[in-house]
Amino acid sequence: MSGSYLEQVVQPDTRDTDIPPRLLGPQLERIWGTPRGLWGFLTTVDHKRIGQRYIVTAFIFLAMGGVLALLMRLQLSGPERRFIDPDRYNQIFTMHGTNMMFLFAVPVMEAVAVYIVPLMVGTRNIAFPRLNAFSYWMFLIGGLVLWVGFALDMGPDVGWFAYVPLSGPQYGAGKRSDIWAQMITFTEIAALAVAVELVVTILKQRAPGMTLDRIPLFVWAMLVTAFAVICAMPAIMIASTSLILDRLVGTHFFNPSEGGDVLLWQHLFWFFGHPEVYIIFLPAVGMISSIIPTFARRPIVGYLPLVLALIATGILAFGLWVHHMFVTGLPRLGESFFTASSMAIAVPNGIQIFCWLATLVLGRPVLKTPMLFILAFFFTFVIGGLSGVMVASVPFDTQVHDTYFVVAHFHYVLIGGAVFPLMGAVYYWFPKITGRMMSERIGRWVVGLVVVGFNLTFFPMHILGLQGMPRRIYTYQPELGWGPLNLFVSLSGCILAAGFVLFFFDVVRSMRSGAPASDNPWQAATLEWATSSPPPSYNFSRIPVVTSANPLWDATILPATRGLRVERRELLVTTVVDAEPQARESSPSDSIWPFWAAVTTSVLLVSSIFTPWAVVWGAIPVTFALIGWFWPKSTPEDLA
Amino acid sequence: MIERCVLFAVLSLTACKREMRDLRSDPPEAAALDQVRPMENRIGGAAPRIMYALGQPYEGNAYQLNQGKRLYDWFGCKGCHAQGGGVIGPALMDGWWRYGSDPVSIYLSLRDGRPNGMPAFGQRMTTDQMWQLTGYIRSLGSYRPSTAAPSRNDEMQARPAENRGPAAAALIARPSR
Ligand code: HEC
Repeated sequence: MSGSYLEQVVQPDTRDTDIPPRLLGPQLERIWGTPRGLWGFLTTVDHKRIGQRYIVTAFIFLAMGGVLALLMRLQLSGPERRFIDPDRYNQIFTMHGTNMMFLFAVPVMEAVAVYIVPLMVGTRNIAFPRLNAFSYWMFLIGGLVLWVGFALDMGPDVGWFAYVPLSGPQYGAGKRSDIWAQMITFTEIAALAVAVELVVTILKQRAPGMTLDRIPLFVWAMLVTAFAVICAMPAIMIASTSLILDRLVGTHFFNPSEGGDVLLWQHLFWFFGHPEVYIIFLPAVGMISSIIPTFARRPIVGYLPLVLALIATGILAFGLWVHHMFVTGLPRLGESFFTASSMAIAVPNGIQIFCWLATLVLGRPVLKTPMLFILAFFFTFVIGGLSGVMVASVPFDTQVHDTYFVVAHFHYVLIGGAVFPLMGAVYYWFPKITGRMMSERIGRWVVGLVVVGFNLTFFPMHILGLQGMPRRIYTYQPELGWGPLNLFVSLSGCILAAGFVLFFFDVVRSMRSGAPASDNPWQAATLEWATSSPPPSYNFSRIPVVTSANPLWDATILPATRGLRVERRELLVTTVVDAEPQARESSPSDSIWPFWAAVTTSVLLVSSIFTPWAVVWGAIPVTFALIGWFWPKSTPEDLA
Repeated sequence: MIERCVLFAVLSLTACKREMRDLRSDPPEAAALDQVRPMENRIGGAAPRIMYALGQPYEGNAYQLNQGKRLYDWFGCKGCHAQGGGVIGPALMDGWWRYGSDPVSIYLSLRDGRPNGMPAFGQRMTTDQMWQLTGYIRSLGSYRPSTAAPSRNDEMQARPAENRGPAAAALIARPSR
């Protein structure tokens, strides 16, 4: 009944005030909803659906990378084991690192942002939603390229940072390094696309009244991260493209005899690679800053210092890369400078930790699972930070470079610093995304197993490293005496794995039969909790107006805007600083073209591993896909 | 759909063969690989049977070809054959062969040497290595670009890389005969 009635009432330029409030939802659903079935799946531009897919895919890659880790631990569990031959082992450790960094850690953080940020800033879709769809397909295909390559014995085997000359034309036989380099291209395109969307969404689509000092900290963190992505990723794209050119058409970027430079690779890689650590860590910081106030039951302490610390970290992150290269024989001054800057970054990080601690001390903390993960983060990350300060000093680093000490250090910072908060965030936002709660009881077990398993697995690696065990070896001799500790590490790895298995089990179980969640099960303060769980396709039936930094705590009834059109996808554009309403802006509808653009681009990129002509011929289908994508529509331009 | 699966399967098999890395062949295999059957004049001959059983691994496998390229450097072939263009010894990439272009002829040139100044390497290399070199020598001229052939070395370039297609084009002097 309402359908036919709506068809009569809804004319061009119908506003939300023109139809009865009870019909507003159904009408918006008609306009914003995604059709069912495969077609809807391929064409949707809804940031929630794409974000969800992105998150699920990234977690599948996490699980696959975890299996590789277990295989390595099996091989290293005793001296002279013969489960895996050296060639396979090289591929496995490279795949593990590449997969975890490029297919899990960076994408998953951006994926959570794709889902949560538009809700947090109170808008109806992310900016450039079709680019968003394109980004997901690129990410997915890039991941498949890597894994199919691995299945065909073509997996990269040069380490996740693929140093030349090992990965270069002379020593990297076959197409293995090319697969690695091209996978980088895929994931970087995907990451850059999301970064641009996030910047525009955050700067231009915030709900009216969400001035800069009312932006939720997770959103701030994603803004800084997005800028870091935009500044860092081009370096690695240049590096990986030069590598492919060197290998395929015989250019000389990294050939010293012809005027190239081997260290150039390391500089380009780490100019991206170090900020990447913060591209992974800053979103986690944002998650922590979202979770802590909710469970401490009070606004965050030191909002301004926290924002400044985020920005400072984002900037300083670009001044540290050389500390990965201390053993390459740099000038003294360079080494000293980068030691100092590496230690300096501990300052903003320290400030953040103290702000969080203060929030906890001044609040009344409720120890739900997300909060437990944050406590695990504190403990683990501080250890990782301490070993970080140790390796920041050149003499110490020279000793432990390329040993298991470094392996221990970066797992402490990456898992402790990013994965624990992420898992907390999953428990935290799961009810919003699925409309169901995850199990508190299983959650506690997960925290316990993961934290204990993690520390038992990785702490002994510090000792192994100090005993001289190098990383990236497929076996070792019994006389070296590393056997018992390695066995211990491998067994502890099983506890950690059990924790993850339980986590995945809980996710699947809760998705099917978890307790139904209310709109705001944790009584949190930010806008994503103002809509239903899961949110409708249009996010908010009326875009909320924000009057404080913690809108859901401070306003008993959330004020809302009125006057948006309901017979087309429309959202509100606001000013950068004060979030004053500026314009009503149309938001793109579903389209299949992003999918085709991704497919054609992938064909080009993959074939160009084999012949440079692919760039010429492959460009033709890409052109057609882009023409289809940008074909002028007959809809009139937006009016302000 | 079915064709696609078949295509994929075929592609993957070729990929496996091209990318596999047999770091060290089994001793009995290596012994069998030395069983070439030379003709009376010892110029050419029949390849060992096991070569076909193994699927001719030294022809289209990226790793073996790459190893061959390294051995070419390490065993000083360059001293007499330059980067393939030839100095004291004849050119190896111009498409002209004194003793035949087939793998067995090249293998015999390497193993037993040739009368006009080509030393015998049979006592200095393993059978694997000699076949790797043979495969590489055959790809040197690279009459057509190959996805398995090695790429350029990190050194001064005197010729286009093996994977870049006809290297003979870079030769300054054409063979006189
Ligand atoms: C001392 C110089 C010298 C060295 C070192 C040398 N060669 Fe030769 N090579 C020659 C000469 C001279 C001939 C021509 C022999 C003949 O015509 O009888 C030759 C012939 C050959 C042939 C046969 C060419 C044909 O046209 O059939 C091959 C193949 C070959 N060499 C490969 C190699 C390889 C591989 C190495 C390195 C392991 C090597 N040579 C090292 C001097 C050398």
